[in-house]
Amino acid sequence: MKLASLTRSTLRSALVAALALTATACANKPVDSGSKEAAYEVNDPLEVPNRFVFAANEAADLLVLRPAAEVYVAAVPDPIRDAIHNFIDNLMAPLYIANNLLQGNFDGAQHATGRFLTNTILGAGGIADVATQAGIPNRPEDFGQTLAVWGVDSGPYLVLPLLGPSNLRDTVGYGVDTVADPVRVWGYATNNKGALTARAATNAIDRRSRVLKEVDDLRRNSLDFYATVRSLHQQQRQAEVTNKPVSGPDFPDFASAPKQ
Amino acid sequence: MTVDNDSQAAISGPMMLTRRLFVACAALLAVSSGVGNPLVSSAFAQSADPGASVFMQKLGNDAIGTFSNKSTPKEQALQHFRALLHKGFDVPYIGRWVLGRYWNQASEAQQAEYQKLFEQLIVGTYAERFIEYSGETFKIVGALPEGETDTMVTTQIIRPSGPPVNVNWRIRKKDADYKIIDVVVENVSMGVTQRQEFSSVVQQNGGKVDGLIQALRQKVGKAG
Repeated sequence: MKLASLTRSTLRSALVAALALTATACANKPVDSGSKEAAYEVNDPLEVPNRFVFAANEAADLLVLRPAAEVYVAAVPDPIRDAIHNFIDNLMAPLYIANNLLQGNFDGAQHATGRFLTNTILGAGGIADVATQAGIPNRPEDFGQTLAVWGVDSGPYLVLPLLGPSNLRDTVGYGVDTVADPVRVWGYATNNKGALTARAATNAIDRRSRVLKEVDDLRRNSLDFYATVRSLHQQQRQAEVTNKPVSGPDFPDFASAPKQ
Repeated sequence: MTVDNDSQAAISGPMMLTRRLFVACAALLAVSSGVGNPLVSSAFAQSADPGASVFMQKLGNDAIGTFSNKSTPKEQALQHFRALLHKGFDVPYIGRWVLGRYWNQASEAQQAEYQKLFEQLIVGTYAERFIEYSGETFKIVGALPEGETDTMVTTQIIRPSGPPVNVNWRIRKKDADYKIIDVVVENVSMGVTQRQEFSSVVQQNGGKVDGLIQALRQKVGKAG
């Protein structure tokens, strides 16, 4: 292949030189379009309002959600918390199946169906996660991922009130999943909106309780917690959408690169 | 395996050597059959450097051995951590990579101070977690070549409480040594995360590297 026959180190040196030139030329411009830096730039044109919402979410977390999660962990025994978690997770299965089908992923749909049936029947209505032990791990698929498979670009990074980091496409996806959720449909049909609220609150506390230490750690060690969360979310989301590990970034060989 | 699936083959046009097509298809097979499938990758595609896995196993065993001993005083434990950090990771390289394009904008004095502070930040951030070690074990799942010079060793960290965590280590051979240059936890690269965070700090400070250095001084000072 012609490209391969070009000395790779020549290419790399040229690239680093171009990068250095671009960097000095665009010293104060946040986005270097055209240089490799673009690969590391985050799509966050709404950074100002996002940071504002993020700060509000942080306050709500520190004042309400985190303390509630701590109490939850302290007051409720592990097996019961696991049972609650498994039950809520299992309720999401119909949406996972549907999204797999919409993405044309029939293997995924089969997998999700198998998991749902295993956990509902053998797992006593979903409270025991026997499927994971049987080799059918949880593979969530939301409508945001479906939209991505259909070719919709993620759009700008968004921090949603209470819901946290997202992007334009995923926010729309979240809306669709919410409306299509069979449990929600049931709740409205049988006038059981209280159950839906209880589920939402429990879900939030449960999820928060599972990352107490990790979030504390990140908060304490970040120079810019907003930027850290943004980076983590975008990378994670990218991997979720493609359903496989993202190809690694480029790690040039500085020793052989020309100095500035 | 059709030609259409292999973009590399498509570029070189219709007149391609059979051998090239075979290698390309084999590589695609190795990747699509799952990361860390040692049988396929060693049989067909460019095989991963076994030295990298050996290095990783030894580093992991050293870490577990060092931090299992809970009776070590804190100061000494920190020294142990530092020693292992420099043995296993190419800290100066990572520091420079994480700073990205701003490295070339920084003066030599700034670069030197940044590297010093970066090392302290890493120690301050991660040492605690290792010193608090409580029975985690890890197992090497596989190794694949990554890029041209590196090896990606895939491991699983088995925790006493909670599901296992998939951690991939990007290892580069430097002379006779192996060094880790990136850690990917559940598909999230720590290098990329740190880089984007630092980039944000610089931008928030009007594009000046000094702003980042100042933030690092404050963070490290608090922890130190």
